[in-house]
Amino acid sequence: MDVRALSEIGLRIVFGSLGLAAFGIFFGLVYKGIDRKLSAHMQGRIGPPFRQPFRDVAKLFVKENIVPDHAIPWIFNLIPLVGLIGTLSILVYLPLGGFPPLFSSGGDLIVVLYLLIIPSLCLVIGGFSSGSPYAIVGAQREMATMIAYEFPFAILVITIAWNLLQKGVTEVFSFSTIASTPVWNQVAGPLGFIGFAILLVVLLLVTPAELSKIPFDSAEAETELAGGLLVEYSGRNLAMFYLTDGVKTVVMASIIVALFFPYNLSALLGLGTYEGMIIDVVFFLFKVFLVVLFSVTLIRVSIARLKIDQIVYTYWIPLTLASLVGLILVMWDSVIMNFFTTA
Amino acid sequence: MFTLESGSGFWNPILWILVLLITFLLFYGIRGFGKSTYKKGTEQTKAFLSGNKEPSPEEMHIKASNLYWGFTTSMKSLYSVLRKMHTGNTSDYILWFVLVLAVLLLILGVM
Amino acid sequence: MTVLEALLQHSPALIIAIPLLSAFLLPLVSRIHAKVRDVFALVMLGVTSCFVGLLASDVLSHGPRIYIFGAQNLRVPLVRILFEVDSMGVFMAIITMMLAIIAVIYSWSFLHQEDGLDKYYTLLLLVVTSALGMELTGDIFNFFVFLEISCIASCALIAFWVTEGEALEAAFKYIVVSSIGALFVLFAIGIFYAQYNALNIATLAHLLLFTFLDKIALVILLVSLGMKAGLAPMHMWLPDSYGRAPPSIVLIIMSATLASFYGLLRVVFTFYGNVLTTSLRFSLPAHVVIGWILIALAIVSILIGVIMALVQTDLLRLIGYAAVAEIGYMFLAVGASIAALGTSYATVALQGGVLHILNDAVDIGLLFLVAGAIYYVTKKRSLDDLSGLARTMKFTTVFFIIGLLAVAGMPPLNGFTSKFLIYESVYQLNPILSIIALLGSILLLAIFVKVLYAAFLGPELPGLKDVKEAPKSMLLAMGFLAGLAIFIGLFPNLLLDTLVKPAVSALLDHAQYISMVVGGL
Repeated sequence: MDVRALSEIGLRIVFGSLGLAAFGIFFGLVYKGIDRKLSAHMQGRIGPPFRQPFRDVAKLFVKENIVPDHAIPWIFNLIPLVGLIGTLSILVYLPLGGFPPLFSSGGDLIVVLYLLIIPSLCLVIGGFSSGSPYAIVGAQREMATMIAYEFPFAILVITIAWNLLQKGVTEVFSFSTIASTPVWNQVAGPLGFIGFAILLVVLLLVTPAELSKIPFDSAEAETELAGGLLVEYSGRNLAMFYLTDGVKTVVMASIIVALFFPYNLSALLGLGTYEGMIIDVVFFLFKVFLVVLFSVTLIRVSIARLKIDQIVYTYWIPLTLASLVGLILVMWDSVIMNFFTTA
Repeated sequence: MFTLESGSGFWNPILWILVLLITFLLFYGIRGFGKSTYKKGTEQTKAFLSGNKEPSPEEMHIKASNLYWGFTTSMKSLYSVLRKMHTGNTSDYILWFVLVLAVLLLILGVM
Repeated sequence: MTVLEALLQHSPALIIAIPLLSAFLLPLVSRIHAKVRDVFALVMLGVTSCFVGLLASDVLSHGPRIYIFGAQNLRVPLVRILFEVDSMGVFMAIITMMLAIIAVIYSWSFLHQEDGLDKYYTLLLLVVTSALGMELTGDIFNFFVFLEISCIASCALIAFWVTEGEALEAAFKYIVVSSIGALFVLFAIGIFYAQYNALNIATLAHLLLFTFLDKIALVILLVSLGMKAGLAPMHMWLPDSYGRAPPSIVLIIMSATLASFYGLLRVVFTFYGNVLTTSLRFSLPAHVVIGWILIALAIVSILIGVIMALVQTDLLRLIGYAAVAEIGYMFLAVGASIAALGTSYATVALQGGVLHILNDAVDIGLLFLVAGAIYYVTKKRSLDDLSGLARTMKFTTVFFIIGLLAVAGMPPLNGFTSKFLIYESVYQLNPILSIIALLGSILLLAIFVKVLYAAFLGPELPGLKDVKEAPKSMLLAMGFLAGLAIFIGLFPNLLLDTLVKPAVSALLDHAQYISMVVGGL
């Protein structure tokens, strides 16, 4: 490897990660503002202005950063930062706005599945380290929720990769492969289509739990646990968790878009390079908005919070069974279609 | 060279660490702009208990065996089966050994 | 012939002889001074490691080596034992030596107040000898002998804290379970000897016809070695004995357990290597049947291990159940690679499984050492009695967090590298296998986050106020394993290319193993 290639990679790492961090933070807060405004309107309230999340963060930075007596200070202070940077690092592996991933051969779907654990894990450890009973109850609930939704989520990820493998694609876990061969084009007949539709619904239902939104927010549960695992956090540490929440929304929505709707408009409209880029970015942001609307805003205004054992039950029994049905339908898809074409 | 390849995907730990390092430096700097002080030793630093008086640490401590209540409750039937299976009797340990041996002999014997 | 060449030529014998002889020298040495005894044990293990390293570099560059004890030529009466060392055996020997040295360093502080340490070190060296013997031998009866040595010596070591009733109970269970396992292995060896009049693995593999009796012997070897390795549902002895033995001893027993796992790999891949592709009834090849049997048991191990560990409150016992789950991952990878023998992903799965042997030793070993440190400073076993140790035990906390992330397979630590290879290969055989493997990892994370909270975070309890950090030699041992976990995680290819890939190709290339003996000698 010569100096030129090395310096190129170095520049990519530095500017790419800085740029993606800015992108993630900015749009995370924007979508948070949109979500709050929309849900307020749905509940017949006026709601805060769109830029309210930016103001919240600015305000949190001038508030006192309290470390409680029972907390372990070094873990308590470090964890919010680790959660934020861990979440931001996922963005370098995702295709965003029509562009291929920044490091498409640096990590794949399994890596992203694991990195998605980091924000929740940091919330959990942060809650445990604050030493307050409310926070500890909240943290253990968050962990139980994480165990619960990871089962259907794993089924979905493996099904998509397995289906691509059956179609003779190589490097099936790579995001560039998945984005260039959309799942809907890789089904042989109606069975596969139904299977993937079921899996899409499951993924949309996993998203609110991943983002700890109602009805799966028993870890924070303002009414009973007073904010749960965040109860002792304040000031800049809380700001870090606030930003993490925003970035996590963008990451999760981008994953859904990359897995199920990786289509772009520029090729369809036959636009030039720059117009095409702009159209693709706008279209991508619109797709992310739709995902946020359906799996966050609409669900959280229409359903009440579930109890923690109900959450575990929901994910481990009905949703796991649903995603297993999806998996079986996808597995039988090509078998049945082969049967019809040969018979 | 630094990328672990499985034939179906890849993972480059060094790259991830570098990305993490850069974002860490950036946000550690940004975090530095925030206010870092608070009033030590006042009501502020007590655990928030909705206005109730803070009990002693032993009473406030949530024990490890009470954790993950939601999971163990919804998986109650599974746990009752597993607890019955782990009797702690050496004869049962050997019974499981004989059982697995018999099943496998049956499978390979029929085959 | 230079001295180095002579040492290299006799290194397989020396690797067994040095720890064996120093084991029996130890009671004598310990009469001089306790310090001398400790240093002597470490130095002898160090010398053995040097020979393992010498042998490893030679085997990796020049292929398998044969070492003959007894008759050099084929003449009747033929009294001889063959050692056959290939890359896989060397890989396992390196793991054994690593665990042994760390255990001895850890024991210095951990057990310095106990008495009976001369016997302790003697037994420790005997278990190491037996594990090394199982990994290097080329003779099936010799394998049984070493297996028996490891059973008896491990049993005595588990009962080291003899004043506790549970330790005695665990030791009793261990000796019953493992000696029954070992006797069944002897039975299988009897079957082979009756049929083929041979005891050498390569010769037997060459002669094997896969008769009905051979099938019975295969099942017996699979089940009894599987039990010794801690495969569910025959895993119950493992949390009992891992939970009651001193944590430094757990590392040594773990090396014996992993040696049994190695024995199982040797049986399936080498012993039955020639006949794996023969068709059974329903035109199913034998390797598919054997592979799926192992996969089924592996899935049971992963699930039982993690689900039972989630509700344990005794820290050492909890880690014991987690160890059962980790064994399940190895069996999953191995089973998938046997079931899919010949495909490209079978090789990847086997690489993941073999790398996971090392990662399991490092991660579970590290967690046991941390648990031992907690026990050393607080004298408490139950997680319910612990809280807030992170205030005073900063290093131990950091090591535990590293162990936690590594055992749950979080990037960028070593557990992720091998699990990554396993997930991304076994799904090609059946997608559900990867799903269960992923689920098991999440549960492992939940289990150890609970431990992190219960032991290290939380409010400071009055009874634990004057707790101090663990002594230096224990920190050194933990730090070494933690550093190794990070190093393997960051540079997985370094290890994969130098050690794991040769080991995997040695396992898959049974023809070379057989021809080393059958062709020339």
